[in-house]
Amino acid sequence: MRSHPVIELTNLSKMFGYGDATTIALDNISLRINKGEFVAVMGPSGSGKTTLMNILGLLDTSTHGDYLLSGQNVGNVSSRKRAKIRRTKIGFVFQSFNLLGRMNVLDNVSLPLMYGGKSKLARLHAASRLLKTFGLQEREYYMPYQLSGGQLQRVAIARALVNRPSIILADEPTGNLDTKSSEIIMHELREIHKRGNTIIMVTHNPTLTVYADRVIHMLDGRIDSDSSERKVRRRNSKRSLGGAVEAKK
Amino acid sequence: MMWLSDIRIAVASLKATRVRTFLTIFGIIIGVASVTLVLALGEGAKHSIKSQVALAGGDVATVRPGKLSRDQQGDVTGYDILANFNASTLTENDIQVVSTTPGVAAATPVMGLRGSVSGGKHTIEDTQIVATNSALPQVLSQRVKTGEFVNPDINRNTVVLGDTIANLLLDSDQTTGQQVTIRGATYTVIGVLAHSDTPLALNGLFDSNMAAYVSLDAGKAMNQGLAQIQTINFRAKDGSDLEAVKRAVTARLRAEHKADDFAVISSREALSVTEGIFNLITKYTAGVAAISLLVGGIGVMNIMLVAVTERTREIGIRKAVGATNGQILRQFLTEAIIMSLVGGLAGVGLAGLGAFAITFLFALPFTPIVTWGIFGAAISVSLFVGVLFGIFPAIRAARKDPIVALRQLQ
Repeated sequence: MRSHPVIELTNLSKMFGYGDATTIALDNISLRINKGEFVAVMGPSGSGKTTLMNILGLLDTSTHGDYLLSGQNVGNVSSRKRAKIRRTKIGFVFQSFNLLGRMNVLDNVSLPLMYGGKSKLARLHAASRLLKTFGLQEREYYMPYQLSGGQLQRVAIARALVNRPSIILADEPTGNLDTKSSEIIMHELREIHKRGNTIIMVTHNPTLTVYADRVIHMLDGRIDSDSSERKVRRRNSKRSLGGAVEAKK
Repeated sequence: MMWLSDIRIAVASLKATRVRTFLTIFGIIIGVASVTLVLALGEGAKHSIKSQVALAGGDVATVRPGKLSRDQQGDVTGYDILANFNASTLTENDIQVVSTTPGVAAATPVMGLRGSVSGGKHTIEDTQIVATNSALPQVLSQRVKTGEFVNPDINRNTVVLGDTIANLLLDSDQTTGQQVTIRGATYTVIGVLAHSDTPLALNGLFDSNMAAYVSLDAGKAMNQGLAQIQTINFRAKDGSDLEAVKRAVTARLRAEHKADDFAVISSREALSVTEGIFNLITKYTAGVAAISLLVGGIGVMNIMLVAVTERTREIGIRKAVGATNGQILRQFLTEAIIMSLVGGLAGVGLAGLGAFAITFLFALPFTPIVTWGIFGAAISVSLFVGVLFGIFPAIRAARKDPIVALRQLQ
């Protein structure tokens, strides 16, 4: 069964610097991610995975190529539009949690909704409901410094979900956590995935790839291997190759 | 609606760095308070002068030595006050000339001296002594409370005291008949003036309640026989046109002097000159005070720049969850504006207290007033300062690259 591509990168490149100092962070990448996939992105430092995440999250723009998010070309839109798309379609989970220390849990989770102009009551209500599903309702009015690492990351995940995003981008979500908490977080992400969310996770830890149903390895700004390729080849042997993912060059 | 959340977040951020916020606001308070206080003092002085004119009525004018500059419309543009009081060009004869001019109800000279005055209770050094004629109460709206006013027909060594100085010098209520010593000579008190609330600005800003009034002859005796008449005041007859009377007086005096070495100014005209002077003084002083406000504003900008740098990661997070550049800018600008407005309000309050304190401590002859106009100006200026000095840090914040910002603590 073929689902809609929520992310489509076509010949995407990102370059930094000028002249002799030019770095090619992403080299002509084409990638398609379908709705509901849980993709793990791995690779050594400098492979371009962080740059890829930044571009997927609209925090950065590509030098060449197209980026379609849910069918909408978001590659060259204005900064204001990008902010709006981030607000409505993208959820971030960071390695260092990145919660606002001066606001309580409820305010932190409702932050994306605030920039969307929702009324205060509606925001807090939505945030509260979500925290309930995470079992964190009792900690609603706690301040971040009162929570453990695992709890903080769960709050961050709740924040990423509050605006019902199209994609969730997780950058080493267990990087700052002990083994026990890491497990809890990964289970949480799995649950979210089961509910139909699309997750793209960058990780150094090969043991975490079991949670994903697709693993992409990057090297030197290119996609070195893509575990879905085998599946694609199998599938497309019955049809034509038009528009299929071309990951390896 | 967005403004309310902006304000809520801004207040929360400001409260989180309480000491810093307070110190920054304090800078604004000082600036606004000094400017407001200066303006209030100026306003109070002008108000006081205006009320004197009201009290004197529109019928009183003054002849002064020295030249007056008038523009083409005849409006007074400038007058050299102080330079000319020392060597007066007005003579005793002039008093007669003025008082006999048609339309003049009465004329009174003012010759000012200073000296020590002693009574039963007390001695006051450097008292204002006014040598004049019997028409002073009538022309300058003073009332005699006890006894009678200076009269050249009575013995030369008689004096009339102002209300306040009488209380200070004499130790009984029976004031008339008592003896005082003025500049070494003995004088008998023949009367006391009623308390008057308005200082007589036209005649050199002396406080009429603290003056001792003697006859012109007595004044001459104190001054080596010379009559140094500083002003001749006159009141126009009821119903007559003051301008016409002024012109008549001017013409007659010109004929007498054969020179234009005097000036005839009505209370209103003198007011405009004095008002002009006060305005100038107020403006310059306020300008200097405004420098402190400028410093306060720079303080705001400085602290906001520090805040932006400190909160770089926060900016990154906010942008990552979807804040636009404009929203970040508004957030930081709101913080600056809140600090400035709070400082402005508190500054006006402090100026009000300061005005009260100054009046109390220095016994000014007028009360500084913080009018609604001054209040409005102070608040507007605070708002302006907030925007002006807050915009640059706010733009800095808005332009932060979220990727760089988030990398900070990674």
